[in-house]
Amino acid sequence: MTAFNASRRRFLAVSGAVGTGALLSSCVTQSPSASGGKSGGPVTLQSNLSSPQAKTSMQQLVAAFNKSGGAEAKLNTVASETFRTQLPTYLTSANPPDIYTWYPGSVAESYAKKDLLLDLDDIWGKPELSGYSDALKKLCTSTSSGKKVFVPTSYYWWGMFYRKSNFAKWGVQEPKNWDEFLDLCDKLKSKGVAPIGLGAGGDTPWVASAWFDYLNIRVNGATYHRELLAGKHRFDDPEVRKVFDTWDEARPYFDPNGTAIPFQDATTALLQGRTGMMLIGTFFADAAPKDALGDLDFFQFPIIDPKVPVAEEAPTDGYFASARSKRADGVKELLSYLAGAEAQELYLKNSSGTALPTHPDAKDAGTPLVVKGRKLIESAADVTQFFNRDSSDALQPTADTALVHYLAKPKQIGSILTTWQRSAQKIWSQ
Amino acid sequence: MALIGSTRRSRATRVPPVVLAFVLIPLLAEAFWVFWPALQGFYLSLTSWDGLAAPKFVGLGNFSEMVHDPVFRTAAINTVLWLVLFGGLSAALGLGAALLLQQERRGVGFYRAALFLPVVFSLVATALVWQAMYQPDGLINNVLDGVGLGSWKHAWLADQDTAFYAVIVPALWRQVGYVMVLYLAGLKGVDPALYEAAKVDGATRWQQFRHITLPQLRSVNAVVLSVIVIDSLRSFDVVWALTRGGPYHSSELLSTYMYSTAFQSLRLGYGSALAVVIFVLAFGVIASYLVRAFREAD
Repeated sequence: MTAFNASRRRFLAVSGAVGTGALLSSCVTQSPSASGGKSGGPVTLQSNLSSPQAKTSMQQLVAAFNKSGGAEAKLNTVASETFRTQLPTYLTSANPPDIYTWYPGSVAESYAKKDLLLDLDDIWGKPELSGYSDALKKLCTSTSSGKKVFVPTSYYWWGMFYRKSNFAKWGVQEPKNWDEFLDLCDKLKSKGVAPIGLGAGGDTPWVASAWFDYLNIRVNGATYHRELLAGKHRFDDPEVRKVFDTWDEARPYFDPNGTAIPFQDATTALLQGRTGMMLIGTFFADAAPKDALGDLDFFQFPIIDPKVPVAEEAPTDGYFASARSKRADGVKELLSYLAGAEAQELYLKNSSGTALPTHPDAKDAGTPLVVKGRKLIESAADVTQFFNRDSSDALQPTADTALVHYLAKPKQIGSILTTWQRSAQKIWSQ
Repeated sequence: MALIGSTRRSRATRVPPVVLAFVLIPLLAEAFWVFWPALQGFYLSLTSWDGLAAPKFVGLGNFSEMVHDPVFRTAAINTVLWLVLFGGLSAALGLGAALLLQQERRGVGFYRAALFLPVVFSLVATALVWQAMYQPDGLINNVLDGVGLGSWKHAWLADQDTAFYAVIVPALWRQVGYVMVLYLAGLKGVDPALYEAAKVDGATRWQQFRHITLPQLRSVNAVVLSVIVIDSLRSFDVVWALTRGGPYHSSELLSTYMYSTAFQSLRLGYGSALAVVIFVLAFGVIASYLVRAFREAD
């Protein structure tokens, strides 16, 4: 009997150990289940807009489209982190969802050059899209195939946001250039206020990239910035070093908790007057209390070198479709609808209203803030998207690590940039 | 044994189909859902793959990259440190708590429940509460301020010197209760007559603990060790929820590094190679321990 017991135990031991190990590694290779319907049936719209407000807006948009007759659509809202990690799987599966919320530019291009995106040239000739600006047309064209692969529907802007009442209380004005900006910081600091809020802690370290983006497009220009992010320059180049030398001038004025709190908390600090201003995108207003919205204002990121053409950061949102979609006609019908002025106004009316529509005739929320934001972007000589959108989501973590490290240990910038280049190289070379 | 075996052989070869089904169906399910993906993981660790194009075979390239990867080195050292600190402290504190709370006194149930309660909570929810406490203007800093230790105030999770330890504390807070329950069960199994005999012989408290309690807990120690090693190597949720391995990789564990390389950097080949390393570590520790334990049992 003992022999039997021992062998059973050994079997259990071995199989148990194998099972444990298999479980550990299985989480990486789990064969993905293809979501999406069969051919025929409604067009599936895979959306990462999972915040309650945006989700409701999307539902109303799809309902309005379905009422208009013709093709039918089905909305499928997925948590944004899941959406981001699953997107490659969706696009490469045999039976993919048809349309996806995502970003134009180099992010879309990484899929377009692998022939995963539907050619949308014909709907760009239709009345809904023909009036779009040349900048948008260029942004939505694949550089490898020359075909349009994206339909933009809205964009927003980044700026140095502050509360009007607080600036009045402190007796300070919007700065016109970098030197005035540093003076302003100095004045705020002498009044016991942390001049610049950041919010690159917690799970939003990417907010720090806005500073890198803006300093780089102000110091080296948007063209250099895009080339750098595409791997045509190196992060340990002297040009990049110059960006951090400029940053060093403003760094003493950053909120010391800048890398300890997420941007939502940094927003609260700004609204409560514990920090003076903050470089942030308009999306932060979604969470701001309604009574504070009217008190918010922003100024353009200060000009550092007047010789560099002025570019602004204006991330564009919209849709692309899978090349393997079996309902291409329905897809194009829905995308044309989404590109129209009526659909964009409907969406903006239901969401927080700080975004701008891409259709030239669509009306925005019309608040002074939105009017000012629109003017900022329309007067810019060039428009960049954001660090991850101008490169890839895979490159973003390398920036997060480098920038948070720089803010904590600014003296080590030399080795930080070397490490950044090394980790970026691994992403570019795949 | 041999005699019984030969007389029953004719019956044993004809396995009833129901039994066969009971063995084969779970085996097939296991093979499809567990073994096959695991084998795929081993294959992927030999490739370079971005999840879009077909995987490109690179041999042992991922493993040789690991040797020169400073982040991997940090993560490996942190994982060992985690195993020692998290494992060692939770075993010591769990045993201590069990010894304190083993006697049936009034109100002891309350303390046991209180210590075990964190085990019931989801670790991610726990982490969110701790995150709020660690904030620059959170509970911990406020308390430090209140008792006049304002100079100790810290951005606990954002400072590379404290982040790693700040993450261990919530993990430990939870594990101590679990280990305590295991030891309490073990202590219940110790024959009280042994202590009485020791008292008659004039043994001190320490001698009782050293020569009766500890040897009697040997079998429980085996369970505790396996639990601790497995829990250490799979620790992920609490680190990810609190720091995501940051700031700049200072609280990175092998598990978080594996996740971020695979699903954030989309380097699935290198991520799989890291998973293989974790597997080998876990398998090595557990297998060597189990082999020894069973040899002793026989």
